[in-house]
Amino acid sequence: MEAPISWVREYTPVACSIKEFEDVMTMSGSKVETTRVLGGSVSGVVAGKILSIEKHPDADKLVVTKVDAGSETLQIVTGAANLKVGDFVPVATDGATLADGTKIKRGKLRGVESNGMLCSIEELGYSRSEYPEAPENGIYVFTEPQEPGVSVVSLLELYDEVAEFEITSNRTDCNSIVGIAREAAAAFGAPFTPPDASVKEAAGGSASEYISIDIQNPDCLRYCARVIKNVKIEPSPLWLRHRLIACGVRPINNIVDVTNYVMLELGQPMHAFDADGIAGGRVVVRRARDGEKFITLDGNERALDSSMMVIADPEKAVAIAGVMGGENSKVTAGASAILLESACFAGANIRQTSKKLGLRTDASSKYEKGLDPNLCDYAVNRAAHLIELLGAGEAAAGISDNYPEPKPPVTLPIEYDKINALIGFSLSRDEIDALLTRAFIEARGGVAHIPTFRADIELQADLAEEAARLYGYDKIESSASPAATAGRLSRRQKITELIKDTLAAQGYFECVTYSFESPKAFDRLLFPENAPERRAVKIQNPLGSDYSVMRTTPLNGMAESLSLNCARRNKECRLFNAARTYAPRDGGLPEEKFAVTLGAYGEKFDFFDMKGAVCALLDVLGIKAEFLAVSDLPYAHPGRAAKITKDGVTLGFIGELHPTAAANYEIGRRAYISALDGDALIESADLSRRHAPLPKFPAITRDIALLAREEVPVAEIERAIFERGGKILESAELFDVYSGNQIGQGCKSVAYNLTLRSSERTLTEDEAAAAIAKILKNIEEKTGAKLRE
Amino acid sequence: MRERLEKLTESFRSELADAPDLKSLEETRVKYLGKKGEFTAILKGLKDLPPEERPSAGVLINETRDFFESALEAAKTGLSRKQLDAAIELEKIDVTLPPKRRETGRLHPLSQIIREITGIFIGMGYEVAEGPEIELTRYNFDALNIPADHPARDSQDSFYTTDGHVLRTQTSPVQARTMEAKKPPIRIIAPGRVFRADEVDATHSPVFHQLEGLVVDKGVTMAHLKGTLSVFLKELFGEETKLRFRPHHFPFTEPSAEVDVSCFACGGKGCRVCKDSGFIEILGCGMVHPRVLSMRGIDPEVYTGFAFGLGLERIAMQRFGISDMRLLYENDVKFLSQF
Ligand SMILES: [Zn+2]
Repeated sequence: MEAPISWVREYTPVACSIKEFEDVMTMSGSKVETTRVLGGSVSGVVAGKILSIEKHPDADKLVVTKVDAGSETLQIVTGAANLKVGDFVPVATDGATLADGTKIKRGKLRGVESNGMLCSIEELGYSRSEYPEAPENGIYVFTEPQEPGVSVVSLLELYDEVAEFEITSNRTDCNSIVGIAREAAAAFGAPFTPPDASVKEAAGGSASEYISIDIQNPDCLRYCARVIKNVKIEPSPLWLRHRLIACGVRPINNIVDVTNYVMLELGQPMHAFDADGIAGGRVVVRRARDGEKFITLDGNERALDSSMMVIADPEKAVAIAGVMGGENSKVTAGASAILLESACFAGANIRQTSKKLGLRTDASSKYEKGLDPNLCDYAVNRAAHLIELLGAGEAAAGISDNYPEPKPPVTLPIEYDKINALIGFSLSRDEIDALLTRAFIEARGGVAHIPTFRADIELQADLAEEAARLYGYDKIESSASPAATAGRLSRRQKITELIKDTLAAQGYFECVTYSFESPKAFDRLLFPENAPERRAVKIQNPLGSDYSVMRTTPLNGMAESLSLNCARRNKECRLFNAARTYAPRDGGLPEEKFAVTLGAYGEKFDFFDMKGAVCALLDVLGIKAEFLAVSDLPYAHPGRAAKITKDGVTLGFIGELHPTAAANYEIGRRAYISALDGDALIESADLSRRHAPLPKFPAITRDIALLAREEVPVAEIERAIFERGGKILESAELFDVYSGNQIGQGCKSVAYNLTLRSSERTLTEDEAAAAIAKILKNIEEKTGAKLRE
Repeated sequence: MRERLEKLTESFRSELADAPDLKSLEETRVKYLGKKGEFTAILKGLKDLPPEERPSAGVLINETRDFFESALEAAKTGLSRKQLDAAIELEKIDVTLPPKRRETGRLHPLSQIIREITGIFIGMGYEVAEGPEIELTRYNFDALNIPADHPARDSQDSFYTTDGHVLRTQTSPVQARTMEAKKPPIRIIAPGRVFRADEVDATHSPVFHQLEGLVVDKGVTMAHLKGTLSVFLKELFGEETKLRFRPHHFPFTEPSAEVDVSCFACGGKGCRVCKDSGFIEILGCGMVHPRVLSMRGIDPEVYTGFAFGLGLERIAMQRFGISDMRLLYENDVKFLSQF
């Protein structure tokens, strides 16, 4: 909402700097976004009277003028042809600044001294649409005599300050100059004088003789009309045009300008019809017919449907209610009588219509927000008042008014204690009454009388806000909130933080990816057609197909992040992600699963680097997991992938990204991904720790080198070791795996360092040897691997 | 005898001084104190003295030998020290050579901010609540007193799934769910991911993060809201931060306010960043709307509450000096390793 301050001041005398105005308004709830100054850059331009015009001795197209500029008479050379002696014109004197910032200096034009410049309206920052009396090419000539030397900034009313307010959705009443003026009056504690809406009604006859109103659609809450006769269409006076311009509305003619003026001033959209265009003097507010065609004022044909509402006469539609008038009833220069409409329509209907038609007008955007039907008659009277004031026509007596269900003002008992208790101040009844009354809510006898333009006030909390904001939020004393609760993270949240910290400590950077992605991701990851992952939650209105499904797996986001790092030529990259995936569920919200995902590549990086990070994480979480080779994950290298399980529960996978998938993401190298089920990790995590006594007796260590078939995983050998190791086997550490010349074809050598220790006594060599023998026997039975001779 | 001992001492001293290493020191020891050394010879010569001179000569011999022994010990210590120093001298390294290090990763800047804010509120007695990111419109809109025809519900602003659910547009539905599940006193914050149908640019992202706070208890006032937020914001932005509470409107709070903090760039003097106002809008808040309470079965005649919500991206961007929001979602390690 843009409001010229001079206009606001017409209704409330707030005298302060623009800065103070901004602050006070902002702190009372009407936030000033920006302010701009109109005509601010023009200076040193004054009114002058042309005393003489002579030919330039050396140039056919120039003339030499003498101009009375008040304090002095200036010789000025100009090329304009529209001047005569006695004209009053804007004179830029030496040192003046024009609207575009040009500085004027005295100088010589073709040898003749020129001590300033005569100005066109454009040079003052405006155009002929705002000042239609200005010539097309030439110097602006004042329509009336002016006193030479007076600044044109004031004469042409170029100067104003315009504040742009952010209006919240509950304060539709503030989308008007009067609304802002009321807020200013409330904020400053200043008086408020409403605009004059008295009508002389000099035309004779009454509105109801000309117009009857038939409301057939309940979305029309009220329809008021006045009839204006003896219409004289001409340009509006400068003061009115100027206000429209300041609000960004182009002046057209006095009648249209008045309807726009009232819309800006009161927030009530108005429309003027040529009364002759309305057959039978009968206004019908009805639903449009499906397929009904209508040509709007802008000359476009619109296809209507029955959800829309039209203003019609018995023969035809004359306007789309609340949106735009029709070509067929437009006010033209020949109009003898006009009908002024001031109506109220349900906001939702207008919003839908405007959206369907793709036609958003000043009127529709006002109606959309919901207006007060009690404003209609006041607005139509105000418009008639202005038309009479401008001499643009004469009003017939009375208003044709159809108001099926008048909206009465509401009262609310004031619960002073509750208001004080909610805000945390202790104001007296009188103080609260005074604050409310300042907000135009008359408070007397413990009752608040809510004006109908404040439909947002329904509860004590609303009254509390009015009192508090005018008291000043900043003056409310802060107090510490008594904490009756212990703050904490849940187990789930603590473990989540632990997971993140551990992965960061392992050298992985946390990344954040979008929750939605392209359905093509499933192809890139090589998921078969029937893969369950392809069943995803779909977005009805995505930003584009690249963001149209909710991810069912975290793999794509990770692969894309690795891809970006490759494209950025980062030599190595280790990322992790802790976020949700979404699986559709019949009847109900999708299942949101917590996924912990690692992704990495690098010159020296391999599977076991990532396995190291995963194992470190599992250690920290107290999870003893197993890694089992898998070859059927579509996105993973079939010979370099493992399923991670604990007691039969799958915790996730780790592996090299399938070379084809890597190519699909343009990752031109081996990349590794581990996708862990975060929920399962949290579920299996065991953070309880118990102290075990430190060893008191010495250990015996033995190295064993085994000859195993190539395809036997070392995990099986290890399992065989521990199965028979008994209580005294403290650890078995793999220290060498070797296959080569000295070893037979298809075999490998696997060497372990075993540590044996008793917690009760020093082990004897014999005991150790017996234990080792048992272990070796079991290894051979389970895996076929033998001690290397 | 005395003369002999003096001569012996003299030659011992000079040998000791000349000894270049431990080995020659040992040779000196053997020469004088060894079994076949000088003292053994002198002791043997003791019996040749007249008996009356023997005791005093014995004392003198012992004293001299003690001196020899301690002098030898001292020389030995000195020499070993010298040898170690020499060895150490050879072991000198260039300590400015690059480290062998295992690089550590980092939490994402957004996670760091969430953790920091969470820490502040846990200290004030809050718990952390969570809720689904794909939400029922009932919780995302209805429960927050957002009217059925409110523009926020438009598909222009909010993403809907084909099942008619909404990608939550704010963390506020967690409020509604918490009030449904818990009895007052309630003190929670809810950080999380939210979605709005904004095209990606330097200051917008269709996926972003918010943090919501909710307190419901007996006797909670707007003064408590102000007190809580000023503790929080001063902790987050620094003790010298100035706050400004401005009246505003949200469907789910009444009274409502927006909170501005003094501009980070100019400290409140006015600059381009704050559009000359000296303040930057940082969060929205208010007293929980009575209808929001009663819809969740909490009696607004007995309980009151306050709620607040803030965007986390802009706080992270301010904190770390990031000017383009897109960087937060690209995941370039050169970016991620800066925090
Ligand atoms: Zn600033």
